[in-house]
Amino acid sequence: MMSADSHNRISRRRFLIRSGWLAVGATVVASCSSFRSLLPALPTFDDPELEDSLTWVQVLPTGGIRFFCPRMEMGQGASLGLSQVVAEELNVDQSEIECVLPNTQQTPPFKMTVSSESIADFFDPVSYGAARLREALRTVAAKKAGIRPGQIRDGRGGFVLPDGSALRYGALVPSEPLVISDPAVSEAEKNPPRYALQRQGAYKAIGHKWKHTELEKIVTGQTVFSQDVALPAMLHGQVIRPPSFGAILLDADGRVAQAMSGVVAVVVDKKSNFVGVVADNPFVLPGAIEAISAKWHVADDIDQNSLDEILDVEDLRARDDFEHKLASSGDIDIGRQRARHRVSARYDTPFLAHAAMEPRAAVASVGGNRVEIWCGSQDPFFVQRRVAEIVGRAEDEVVVYSHRMGGAFGGRIRCQASEEAAILSAAVDRPVRVSWDREAEFQNNYFQPVYSHFIDAGVTPTGAISHWDHDFVSSPILTGSVPKSISWAVDMFTADEGTARGGMPPYRVADRRVRYSDVRTEVPVGAWRGLGAAPNSFAIESVMDELAASAGIDPLEFRLQNLSPTQERLAGVLRRVAKLSGWGRVMPQGAGRGLACAVYKGETAVAIVVEIEVDRATGEVRATKVWCAQDCGLVVNPNQVEAQIAGNIVWGCGMALKEQITIAAGSVEERNFDGYEILRHHETPEINVALVAPPDTPPVGAGEAAIAPVAAAIANAVFDATGHRARRLPICGARVIP
Amino acid sequence: MDININGRIVTVPEKFRDVTLLEFIRSSVGLKGTKYGCGAGLCGACTVHIDGAAVRSCQTVAADAVGRRVTTIEGLSKVAPEAGLHPVQTAWIEEAVPQCGYCQPGQIMTAVALLAHDPNPSDDTIRNEMSGNLCRCGTYPRIHRAIVRAARERGNHDVRR
Ligand code: FES
Ligand code: FES
Repeated sequence: MMSADSHNRISRRRFLIRSGWLAVGATVVASCSSFRSLLPALPTFDDPELEDSLTWVQVLPTGGIRFFCPRMEMGQGASLGLSQVVAEELNVDQSEIECVLPNTQQTPPFKMTVSSESIADFFDPVSYGAARLREALRTVAAKKAGIRPGQIRDGRGGFVLPDGSALRYGALVPSEPLVISDPAVSEAEKNPPRYALQRQGAYKAIGHKWKHTELEKIVTGQTVFSQDVALPAMLHGQVIRPPSFGAILLDADGRVAQAMSGVVAVVVDKKSNFVGVVADNPFVLPGAIEAISAKWHVADDIDQNSLDEILDVEDLRARDDFEHKLASSGDIDIGRQRARHRVSARYDTPFLAHAAMEPRAAVASVGGNRVEIWCGSQDPFFVQRRVAEIVGRAEDEVVVYSHRMGGAFGGRIRCQASEEAAILSAAVDRPVRVSWDREAEFQNNYFQPVYSHFIDAGVTPTGAISHWDHDFVSSPILTGSVPKSISWAVDMFTADEGTARGGMPPYRVADRRVRYSDVRTEVPVGAWRGLGAAPNSFAIESVMDELAASAGIDPLEFRLQNLSPTQERLAGVLRRVAKLSGWGRVMPQGAGRGLACAVYKGETAVAIVVEIEVDRATGEVRATKVWCAQDCGLVVNPNQVEAQIAGNIVWGCGMALKEQITIAAGSVEERNFDGYEILRHHETPEINVALVAPPDTPPVGAGEAAIAPVAAAIANAVFDATGHRARRLPICGARVIP
Repeated sequence: MDININGRIVTVPEKFRDVTLLEFIRSSVGLKGTKYGCGAGLCGACTVHIDGAAVRSCQTVAADAVGRRVTTIEGLSKVAPEAGLHPVQTAWIEEAVPQCGYCQPGQIMTAVALLAHDPNPSDDTIRNEMSGNLCRCGTYPRIHRAIVRAARERGNHDVRR
């Protein structure tokens, strides 16, 4: 039996100190990148380079533009926004661009689609690639016309010659492929003018409310999600997954199942902890699975209590045992003495699930010299590497065809269904489809880890923050998926930046210390919308509200007074949301308002005001209205950004009021949407959004910024309405009623 | 043992009588627009119409649809007053409702049935009638607007006639 608390007997920090690794108090927050070369198949981390973009945009002989979008699509609309960037550079309309989700052979590997980077980090390279193509074509046109490139003006979908005649791109496509990375290209071509950067205020595509070309297919049911992929000769597979975290397969008897009509094979591989069945139709699978008796060695001593003991901030505080320091300046003990009002409080958030509406699915065809995978993943190149490793093939023998995902939210960096389908397909030598059911999604994916925070802070007689002493504990997120065999080494030397995301308050405090520990448990954890941003902001912004209340200062004023001077843009959205919501309005009985703000990844400033109602009888809290002001710099498509913000607010409400994964007997208790409730239509607040940005600011992340402050704003509104401080999520109605 | 699916007569083989209508439609008939979300009647992704009423196809067995008229998202344009998209589908595009899009066929089928029995629903009616359809992307505000738009546009249409 694995003992849950064996993890805790000696912390990494204590080990490091004892073994002489650590001279000073804590490890510094170091990037995980230095360890990547030592690890087996890992997600694709590398940021895009300008030159990568040269393979992303093509001109077709028809004159149309084909854009191999280096971002996966899960509803965030990155492929639309980046198409607008391409259109801006190439002076074409939406109808002239065919945007393709590339398979793994069509482009060089690109970074996994995570972290709201698709516009923020790909705007520039996509603009570069398209601009380079345009200038290469201009050179072709010049040669053709026997004039200098500088004499050729831009036209719609091509160029205009000095005599006024139009030359469309299609007429310039050479019979031989035009290699624009040719070293012979001129310096001018290497540094093309960038309309996406230069046309501010006069954009023709950027900033416009283009609609996604996929909409019509979606509303008519024609979009092919990975759940919908069907190959002609495809078989159907299902897998029996471990009944508890870390369970080990001892034995499986598939003889009865094997004899059932329709069953093609029962695959038992103890070494890989794998039992699966393949059939020629999906209808026999449940019966066949039932007929297989699999015996497991289970680790059933892991439960919520044992996990909460490991992830207990107060326990770590009592032992003064935190591994990483995010900030340390001044002297918190001296600062503490300046406090007229003090707040010391603990804040907790639970394990959370992605609960994307599409359960994952994949079709794999493991053939003689080629392995093909059809699936939806945030990182198709990771899928390619994992599958190659699992079926023992070279990476370049594996092709992954990507499909639009029915929601991802960090939960589809791995596509386990593709790995399972590959194992089964290799065994039966035919294409096999595996799709997870809802229970498998809740039981077998990875989760947002538990967070446990303790903050001690205070307010000076003049309304300044006297000191900020913040400790928290959670689990490593970015390296959450590394295999057990090496996780110990990874943990020893890295501080997880994902766990720490949003852990620094945006306020001016001279005497402060922020420490954390990222402790691995048996529960698989990984990226969940915003990573640490939402749980960390919940603690920080709740305490800000407590401080303001204890000092009798309006929460908006208190924040504005204490923002650090570099946070002008955060001040901007705070003022804007205050105006939008009519901040300061007196609320009727049983209703309340709360405010919170955050800076996502140090870039996107967002402020939220929430209005709630409390059911006097049950204590049930409902968010009725939300106002949000966000500054994410240049907005490529306002329609999409507003949709993302609304989505984040709906998520944030669910996180604050409903969502929770609990662990018992070594596995997840929640199996479906009755146990794990997400926000429903009738619980959704009215949402008002304002987008603000100083002129000439580049785009920054918008896909998961607004979730950060939502839970705190709701908790602060609960305090406003009832005087009750909700310090544990989800907010429990019974506790709200005094 | 026949079901009329989107105007086409489909025979349910004896051995598939007890599979869910959802599985039957997706795997046997091959219409993939109707989605699986939970298999337990909790999410609405699998919503189809049986004789015009919104039904969770994951909670219905194929045999129960025998002799009845089943409409899926693919067949919606056929019951539209004019050729082309159903007005609710048009409203969905106008309001740019979908994010990932996975839940949307179910949302649309529920909305069409709602508007069929209440052409001018109140906000509260929309909220309550749509509460069984989950959307993890959080498109509820736009779903709401699209339903209001479809109702309004149908009103205008009727006035013009
Ligand atoms: S799949 Fe039928 S209600 Fe969810
Ligand atoms: S649009 Fe993604 S679940 Fe509704």
